[in-house]
Amino acid sequence: MRSTNGDCVVIGLGCPFLSDDSIGPRVIRELAAGVEESWRLVESHAGGLLLLEELAGATRAIIVDALLDSRRTPGEVVVAGIHGSSQNAACGHDCTLLQALTIGRAMGLDLPTDMNIHLVAVVADDVTTFAENLSPRVASALPEACRTVRLLARGSLFANKEAA
Amino acid sequence: MTRRITIDPITRLEGHGKIEIFLDDAGDVSSAYFQIPELRGFESFCVGRHAEEMANITNRICGVCPEAHHMAAAKAVDAAFGVTCLPAARRIRELIYMAFFVTDHTTHFYCLGGPDFIVGPDAPASERNILGVIRKVGVDIGLQVINCRKRNHELIKRLGGRGVHLCGALPGGWSVALSEEMRRDFLDCAKENIDFARFSLKTFDDIVLKDQAYLDLMFSDLYRHETHSMGTVDAGMAPNFYEGRIRVVDTLGNEVVLYDPKDYLSHIAEHVEPWSYLKFPYLKKFGWNGFVDGQESGIYHATPLARLNVADRMATPLAQAEFERFFDTFGARGKAANGRNLPVHQRLATHWARLIELLYAAERMQELLEHPEICDPAVRQVVEARAGIGIGSVEAPRGTLTHHYETDVRGVLTRVNLIVGTTNNNAPISLSVMKAAKGLIKGGVFSDGILNQVEMAFRLYDPCCSCATHALGKAPLEVNLRAVDGSLLDQQVRG
Repeated sequence: MRSTNGDCVVIGLGCPFLSDDSIGPRVIRELAAGVEESWRLVESHAGGLLLLEELAGATRAIIVDALLDSRRTPGEVVVAGIHGSSQNAACGHDCTLLQALTIGRAMGLDLPTDMNIHLVAVVADDVTTFAENLSPRVASALPEACRTVRLLARGSLFANKEAA
Repeated sequence: MTRRITIDPITRLEGHGKIEIFLDDAGDVSSAYFQIPELRGFESFCVGRHAEEMANITNRICGVCPEAHHMAAAKAVDAAFGVTCLPAARRIRELIYMAFFVTDHTTHFYCLGGPDFIVGPDAPASERNILGVIRKVGVDIGLQVINCRKRNHELIKRLGGRGVHLCGALPGGWSVALSEEMRRDFLDCAKENIDFARFSLKTFDDIVLKDQAYLDLMFSDLYRHETHSMGTVDAGMAPNFYEGRIRVVDTLGNEVVLYDPKDYLSHIAEHVEPWSYLKFPYLKKFGWNGFVDGQESGIYHATPLARLNVADRMATPLAQAEFERFFDTFGARGKAANGRNLPVHQRLATHWARLIELLYAAERMQELLEHPEICDPAVRQVVEARAGIGIGSVEAPRGTLTHHYETDVRGVLTRVNLIVGTTNNNAPISLSVMKAAKGLIKGGVFSDGILNQVEMAFRLYDPCCSCATHALGKAPLEVNLRAVDGSLLDQQVRG
């Protein structure tokens, strides 16, 4: 199945009503002001096969999400590969993102290679409070997260720059 | 000594739930519970918001049922503000909703419920998923599933503004009209859906109905409950997923009540147990008599099977033929004392009923797209906020969904109540889990395959715990096996 879904798809995962969990959609909204023609921006609070459909036809994919990691400081921006994909990228109704990619490739879908799928994660402070605002440290990381996504989307930041 | 099994996470369940199974000294099941340990919070969170925001807020309750919440919210706001949705907008809403039904039922059959049949209930857990299905039946079917989901999500995206959490509903209307170009494209989509639904029914025939072992399972007492049935019907007593009246039939096929959704509080009450955040709705006419089935129990189910049980017919021709074949297979067509179909109580038949609904939804899409006025550009109107009460109801894939809003003169919400499909089915799910556990676990002997067959008893309901608890997001679920003293004997953590 071939499709023309743009060279690069940027997917912001998360719920807009759960404080720092909304960092993915917030990055997408920031990027919308200066989106380049070859980028496709997607907000989503669903993973698994739905993500597969969004990835089909793109040559590069960037998934932006919140990260819970007590070893890191809230607001830190982390770049990882596909194997760092998060709980938000999975769907309890079907499968994880990695499983979805396996299915898609088995069926011959036109999908980005693993090397061209990046996770941009922002370490969250609070993903459980009903709130439409980010916590202060995550809010201050929003410009850095957007800058990182732009560099990845333009191919100016490569896998060898990825954090562990 | 009582022993205890916990299944947590339950594989292929949206949201977080838990099955607790307690064994007695002989190793037999003394009790089993389906628990929801998540806190519900959405209703409180929404008080103080503008009512017209609800379609875009509640569709974030879950990544699987956003269209159902979007539509129920839109209808509740229409009612609260005293406005009738414009005809073309109403048809667009239903069209999108039918496309959603096609994707949702497809996902359940091939990814959630289907693996139990297609791969087998005793297969390793790592194989009982969509990957296992593809390995068993071939890449081509997997591709058809993906293509079906994709073309219908594309329709939702083009008309709904977004692919996942659509944002097209406006009070009394829809944000965009259907163009002739879109109508032609979507008509192709509807026809492909019809072909796909027929193909899925044939697959069910080949794999399940022609396999004696699966037939025996479907007809076995292990997965049989006599509860009342609930579903939305049109004026001709055919199922309608977008609008209509709520019909309840009893275990023998007699109509108990036919009511307007706004009157739900006159007929439905909710029982509370201390061990679950999820309430247990029951029929007021019968009252809460505990976790028992039968004609005198207040427990009902609201599922694809229930919707066929309450219907006298299907509104589209191909689905009608399947409806007749379905009741014929169970020897139930026209066999009730009043001449109606006897309700089918074999709960595993819910999977078959779901495929008949898939076919109906596809045919209904075609009907809507062939309506001469669906491209009418009049889809928006000026609506004034007001103090009011609005109750919006749709049939979600997993049961009757009700949104109840109360607003002040500014249109700000002062009260919100949601009864979702899975909530309706909470008591019957508990019955089914108990019966399956008691029937399958004897003398303390159990295996992964046996615990999966316990899971099958609840999975057929396609429960969505994110929606049921109105929690945000999703989390897994577990099955625990415990001894008399509560100590954990075994735990299945999958999903």
